[in-house]
Amino acid sequence: MKLRLGHLYPEFLNLYGDRGNVLILCRRAEWRGIDVEVTTISLGDPLDPRAFDLLFLGGGPDQEQGVASSDLFAKGPALKEAVEGGTALLAICGGYQLLGEYYRTANGETLPGVGLFAAYTEAGKKRLKGNIAIQVAELGTEHPVIGFENHGGRTFLQGAQPLGRVIYGDGNNGSDGTEGARYKNAIGTYLHGPLLSKNPHLADYLLGLALQRRYGEVELPPLEDSLELATNAAVYRRFLSTKGKW
Amino acid sequence: MLRSILAILAGRLVTLLCRWLKRGGTSLPGFVALKVDPLLLRRLSARCQQVVIVTGTNGKTTTTNLLAGILRASGLRVVTNSEGANMPAGVATALLEQRGEVAVLEVDEGTLALVTRQVRADVVVITNLLRDQLDRYHELEQLAAVINRALASHPVATLILNADDSLVTSLGEGWDSVRYFGLARTPWSQTTTREVLEGHICPHCHQPLQFNFYHYSHLGDYFCPRCSYRRPRADYEGRELQLEPTGARFALVYRDGAVDLETPMPGLYNVYNILAAASAALYLGIAPETIIQVVTSFLPGQGRAETFNLGDRQITLMLVKNPTGLGVALRTLASGQKKMAYLLAINDLAADGRDVSWLWDADLSPLLTAPRSRIICAGLRAGDMAICLKYQGVAEAGLEVIPDPRASIAALLAQPVNEALILCTYTNLALYRRLLLERGAQSEVTPGASLPGVS
Repeated sequence: MKLRLGHLYPEFLNLYGDRGNVLILCRRAEWRGIDVEVTTISLGDPLDPRAFDLLFLGGGPDQEQGVASSDLFAKGPALKEAVEGGTALLAICGGYQLLGEYYRTANGETLPGVGLFAAYTEAGKKRLKGNIAIQVAELGTEHPVIGFENHGGRTFLQGAQPLGRVIYGDGNNGSDGTEGARYKNAIGTYLHGPLLSKNPHLADYLLGLALQRRYGEVELPPLEDSLELATNAAVYRRFLSTKGKW
Repeated sequence: MLRSILAILAGRLVTLLCRWLKRGGTSLPGFVALKVDPLLLRRLSARCQQVVIVTGTNGKTTTTNLLAGILRASGLRVVTNSEGANMPAGVATALLEQRGEVAVLEVDEGTLALVTRQVRADVVVITNLLRDQLDRYHELEQLAAVINRALASHPVATLILNADDSLVTSLGEGWDSVRYFGLARTPWSQTTTREVLEGHICPHCHQPLQFNFYHYSHLGDYFCPRCSYRRPRADYEGRELQLEPTGARFALVYRDGAVDLETPMPGLYNVYNILAAASAALYLGIAPETIIQVVTSFLPGQGRAETFNLGDRQITLMLVKNPTGLGVALRTLASGQKKMAYLLAINDLAADGRDVSWLWDADLSPLLTAPRSRIICAGLRAGDMAICLKYQGVAEAGLEVIPDPRASIAALLAQPVNEALILCTYTNLALYRRLLLERGAQSEVTPGASLPGVS
């Protein structure tokens, strides 16, 4: 069995340790005897919609995001075709915003997005930042998904399914209790950085979605996750008591 | 006028109280005094004939202390905030408590404007701009813009900038008086960088920059393939660098001559600190002999690769606060052949930065290949550190997660090795220093020294 992972713009979209997620996905596949092939897809590279099981898109600073966004826009149709065909995708923070319908900047300019998620983003005044916990229905209720968010934009879902409900923190916009977006096997989220490090259940869920395309339902043997889950629980306990506000 | 007299009196009173209570007082007197007179920095700094500000991400404290040491050795009386209290309150405390002809002030890069609004600086030295505490400063380009505005709000006479950092040099655009310091290609220069790249977009035409070589992170010899933007010629250039585990030597070449410098501080990052301080000193007209003499004997401050002796053990304590700093610290201190024990104490309090995602951007490979006993992960984010190491290839049997500081020190000392390295984020530094001293450890830098912050 082999996992083909496409990492989009690693040199531009990699603020806050996003690349950690690629490492985590690779390790968790390798530990189960699954071969992994990581391909970097950057400016000007073609995107074959059938070549990958899993695509990863991180977040970036404004300038870097600007450089990547026009190229991503050109790849938009291929990317949508891939997701329609069952390819799994994880997009974080800036990458998530670029995959929505559009981004409206602070001075009212509207930048088009790829249009994968039925959602739009507009610039907000205060940055939404801090530890965040969400409940993802597909992952059951035993372990929340824990992360850190730090975003100026507010994303509003317009028909897209959210990834989860906010337990503490701000999520998509700080007001409607939703976090992230989901379309087929594609996930967008504001939980930035090494999101999968404290969420092995989410990592495995993504791996399962990715392998499904070529191998059907795949049973992933359990791994020794006590360190990851204990850290997940410790962070959850510590910040839940403060209701997400320090 | 009356207001500032009251403010100074109030600040002095707090200083006395801090001493009487044996409590740290590097910021509190200035904090109180600024509450009484918010414009106090203007009055206090005007008492000095010259003001030098040192800012940037890494190396501020060492550069500040070294420059202050050089100026002192040349016979000047120097006012300085030597212990890294670099917010306006810390700067005010130093100016309240000391008198001198020259002030060498370390200023936090994010709050520079609060200081430059009042303090007329003759020289501003900028060490580097690396990703650090992104929850406070967001993006590096934004931070560069903040510094740019701070400098423009109250023009400073001369900028002394790191030529090897494209983000820093972009701050010199349009400035009349700029001097650059930099480092020529070394045997350690690489054509690829291990760290996550930042500051690699041309400030003019926003194309990705290309590099002839990297020293570390995005520091190196860069050029834009589209426009004319490139690394400026260094007015003060380090050449013929020789790095050793116990120090470094290099030639500092400038327009009117050259000096051979030798330092007991190891690591490329300290070469940059020396370049920054020595360049500023040369610019200020200090004799090369004085610079040579101080650089030869200067050791970094408390917790900056501070070595302790405890029985037959040698323990090094080092502050880490961002991915480049952590990677460079490991490359410098974990590259030996002797088996060492490691303790990484990671907190996420406000002064550390709330977000610990940066751990995943650090190049931990020197730690993975070094001969070692167990790696102990401590602090409020012990679990996050351990997970990061696990996925980078450290077997779980080689890891211990012990969040409690006291218990983690005990576990470290139980390792069957003679050398240990403790890497701490900011709020753990004074704590681990105290725990070591409590166990009878002797600092090699400052024998019997007090805790940081205790005057």
